[in-house]
This record gives sequence, C-alpha cells and structure tokens, in this order.
Amino acid sequence: MIAGGPATLAQALGRRRRALRCAGVTQSFDAGDPTAPPPAIEAEALVKRFGDVTALDGLSLRVAQGICFGLLGPNGAGKTTAISILTTLLRPTAGRARLLGRDVVAERAAVRADLGLVFQEPSLDPELTAREQLDLHARLYHLSDRARRVGDALALSGLEADSNRPVRGFSGGMKRRLEIVRGLLHAPRVLFLDEPTLGLDVAARATIWDALRALRRDGRCTLFLTTHSMEEAEALCDRVAIVDRGRVVVEGTPAALEAALGGDVVWLALERPEGAAARLAALEGVARVAEEAGRDASPTRLRVVVAEGPRRLPALLDAVRAHGVLEVELQRPTLEHVFLHHTGHVFEDAAR
Amino acid sequence: MSAFFADAATIFRREWLRYRRDRAYWVGQLVFPVVVVAFIGLGLNRVVTLPTGASYLAHLATGVLALLVGSGGIGGGVTLIQDRASGFLRALLVAPVSRASLVVGKIAARVAASLALVGVLAALFAPFAGIGLAGPRALGAVVLAVAGITACFVALGIVLGSRLRSLESFRLLSALVTVPLYFLSGIFYPVSTLPAPSRWLAAANPLTYGVDLLRYGLIGVSEIPPARSALLLALLTLAATAVAIRAFDAPERRA
Repeated sequence: MIAGGPATLAQALGRRRRALRCAGVTQSFDAGDPTAPPPAIEAEALVKRFGDVTALDGLSLRVAQGICFGLLGPNGAGKTTAISILTTLLRPTAGRARLLGRDVVAERAAVRADLGLVFQEPSLDPELTAREQLDLHARLYHLSDRARRVGDALALSGLEADSNRPVRGFSGGMKRRLEIVRGLLHAPRVLFLDEPTLGLDVAARATIWDALRALRRDGRCTLFLTTHSMEEAEALCDRVAIVDRGRVVVEGTPAALEAALGGDVVWLALERPEGAAARLAALEGVARVAEEAGRDASPTRLRVVVAEGPRRLPALLDAVRAHGVLEVELQRPTLEHVFLHHTGHVFEDAAR
Repeated sequence: MSAFFADAATIFRREWLRYRRDRAYWVGQLVFPVVVVAFIGLGLNRVVTLPTGASYLAHLATGVLALLVGSGGIGGGVTLIQDRASGFLRALLVAPVSRASLVVGKIAARVAASLALVGVLAALFAPFAGIGLAGPRALGAVVLAVAGITACFVALGIVLGSRLRSLESFRLLSALVTVPLYFLSGIFYPVSTLPAPSRWLAAANPLTYGVDLLRYGLIGVSEIPPARSALLLALLTLAATAVAIRAFDAPERRA
C-alpha cells in the first residue's frame, strides 16, 4: 500500500478495512434473543445533569452493528454529552448504556478497547510528530506490529511527507485526517465521530466524507457520528436520530423520516387566491392545503403538501391557472423539515 | 500488572519525547541553580558558618538541587493542564489504559529528568562545594530523595491542576503553596537554626526530609537521621502517588 500509494484516503480506507480481521471478540448476548448479536450501541433513558443544567433528559437509542448512525441536533442539544457517556468519558446521572452488550460504566475497560473516538476539537499532542502520535496510540492500545500499522495509517492519511513534523504546524484538515486514522488504528468495532467535519473547508470535508463512506460500505465497523449539519446526516447516515433538548424526538432512515412528513411541499403565490385552496385540496395526492399570509407587501401563499410533488406539479398548476399564478416553489422534504415538524421550532432557533 | 507497567512505560516515553524538544526547560533548569549558587552561595560562603559543619556553599548547592527537583515536580502538574488544553488528555482518557499508569508514567518521567539534571549539576558543583557520591548508600539516598520530592510535588501539581483550568491561576496558586514549603525546608538554611514555630512547621514539611536526604547523599551531612528520612520518603512517595492518582481520577469533567 505504501509502495503504490493509495489514490485517495477513501480507497485506501476501504482496502485497509477489508484486510483487517477482528480477532478475539467475546460477545455478550441479549437475554431475549440468545442468537442475535448485541446492538452496537444501546442507551436507555440517559440523563446527565451538570449542576442546574440538564444536558441529557432521558435519551434512548439503539444502533445496530455495521451501520452509519447519525445523531443530529442543534448546538447544545446534548450530542457531545451523549458521545462522552457512550465512550466512557462521562458517567450518566441516571440511565444506562451498553456498547456491544457491555455496560459503559461497569465494564468500561473492555468498552474502551472496542471503541475509537474522533473528537470535535483537536486531541493531538501538538509537540509530537504525526508518526510519534500514531506510535504512541498503537502502544496505548497494546497493538502488535506497530511499525506496519503506523506506516499504513500514515499512507492512508496522506500525511507521509509530513510524518516527522510536530503536529503543531498542521492545518485543520491535516489534523482531522490524522485524528481519523488514529481513531481507526486499533481497528475499533465502533467508531465515534463528534462533528467530524466541523470547521473544515469544502475540499477537506469532501475528503473526510469519502473516507467515511468507504468505511460505511465496508460495514465492519459501526459508525456513530454527531452532526449539526442536515446535509452531512443525509449524505452519510443509514439512520438518524434527531435530538433536541437532551432527548431523541424521532429516529429512522432519512428517507423514511422525510416521507413521514406526507410528501413534498408546493408553495403557490396567486393573484386571486380566493377558492383556490378548496380546488387544490380536491386533487389526487394532495394531503393538506394551508394559507400563509405574505409578509410585508408579498402576496398570500398557499402551502400544499402533496405526494410525489414533481410529478403532480403540472396538475396543480393547471388547477389554479385561472387564479393567476405569480410564483411557484417546490420543496422536497429535508431533515430540516423533519426537525421542524417534530420539535415545532426551526433548527437554528433551537441552539441555546 | 504487566499491562500496567507497559502503559506507564508508554506514558514515560511520551513525556520524554516532549522533554527532549523542550530546550527552554533544560536551559532554565540548568541555569537557575548555577546562578543561585554563583551569586548567593559564593557571596555568603565567607560570611556564614553553619552548625551542621557543612560550608554554606555546599549547603546551598545541595539545597538548590532539591528546589530544582521540587519545581520539576510542579512542572509535572503543568503538563496535565497543557494536556487538557491541547485536548490530548481526552485521547488518553478514552484509551484502555488505567489512570494509575498514566500518573505513574508521568511521575517516573519527571524523576528521570530530575535525576539527569541533578547528576549534571552535582558534577558541575563538585569541585567548589565538596560534592561527591560516597557509595551505593549515598546514591540510594539521592534517588530516593529525588523520587520522594518529585512524587509529592507532582501530586501537588495534579491536585491543583485537576481543579484549575488556566495556567495563570495554576502558576499563582502553586507559587503561593510552594514558596513557603521551600523556605521551611532547610534549602537555604539549616532547619535547626530556625525559630521554634518555624521549626515545627519545617518538621511537618515533607520537603524537609527530602532536602536533608539529598544533602546526606551528596555531601554526607544531615540534620535528621538518614534512615528516618529514607523511610519517611519511601512512604511519602507511595502516599503522594496514591493521592495523585485519586486527584487525577476523581473529578468528572465535561469532556
């Protein structure tokens, strides 16, 4: 791998992950179904209070092995606190959590060996070089064949040329790449990533996304990421849980969550809106029609929730042609709408 | 248990990688004792006669080495604050490594660094101050003194460091605590010359025994029976390490 040089971080990760074997894994089983493997992550009514502040307020989760799971929420929703508890860095005030069937408080030593964590903020020793950093990590995880693993990790991070420079001088993207390969160095069965692309430029973000997609395709490692970017959750996650004020408000695949909203939204601004709502409501596929008063001088708009919006849009327009169509807008549902629907407030407002 | 020592060795290694690059640390630690001994020791040497029989120069030179060991130990606490500030501490805390091995590795690295500094400086002062290792007993006394002082001060540094977030408040508070410890320890003048209340405080100061044992090891002069100091320091090393581990482990941080 070093000789050829991986074309991209993502390709290299995919290849490397396929080459890895998870050895010596002891599994504990659910009492209910003795044959089923334990979920990667299980959280039951986690509560965490810091003095008067309640960061988690009964958060429950279940994440199957091998998927990419996203915890989506605004800043301050409790995402980092949740990750800290699941990775044994914090103890919950109440509730319990298990990683691969093992309790994160009672069996934290075993849990730590199974997980990798990529922090939101840098967690590298600025005075050590990239190579020293990885070698140290390999020693902390008691890995054999350190030199090979460190070499492979450097190759796939694309940082070989800078491997003997102290990390102090690295750019944000370089540091994040190093953190990710460090998180993978010991082949964890669950990799946690706290806001993996926060503060990165578009190119660096794309590199990280490709790498995470490769890991997800490989399916050997469960990915658990937090993000406040709807786009990121949609791009990477098999399932997402939306958190708001310390609890999960809804959980599912992004597509299912969006579909549950009842369809697409067509906004219509009409010259003469009287009677148009009733006419639209009678059309096939239309779930709801609501009038929304325009702000300032802009005209009243109709909000039409309709299944298969792109296909039905022509029929909608035909039905209201006589009312004088001023503007049309078709919105496909996004996680942003899912969030709004379930919490009753828009995403940005939720940030405390 | 073997994992424990392997982990402590890993931390030791990492601390040394850092020290090696930290030129300011070595220069500062080497220059300060030389300046004190040259300007104060040489000056007062002719004026002061000590009841212990040692020359003032020898007394101060050995005392300053103990001071250096103590401040090196406090520096161990500073590295904890630095590790937290850089975020590296979290990477250590999430690794399958016991907190105890992290603390032991940190203390051991400081002990090694301080022993190296004491060795170099003792050799430098030897011609002027009559310093010389009398034998394995003396060497044992030096090692035990350095280990005991370091463990106590690293523990102090970690106790302070795990509660304070900024380096500024750490520096201020650690100076507030350590300066009285230094003055009441026999570093600058023999404890037996202190007035009564100060003498009692000095007797309760762990550093007093470390200073005395270090002095015994380097110039063969002591105010306290060396065996008593040695036993006390051995116990102190263990107790201080335990305190440091507890202080490091106990506080729950928002990671």
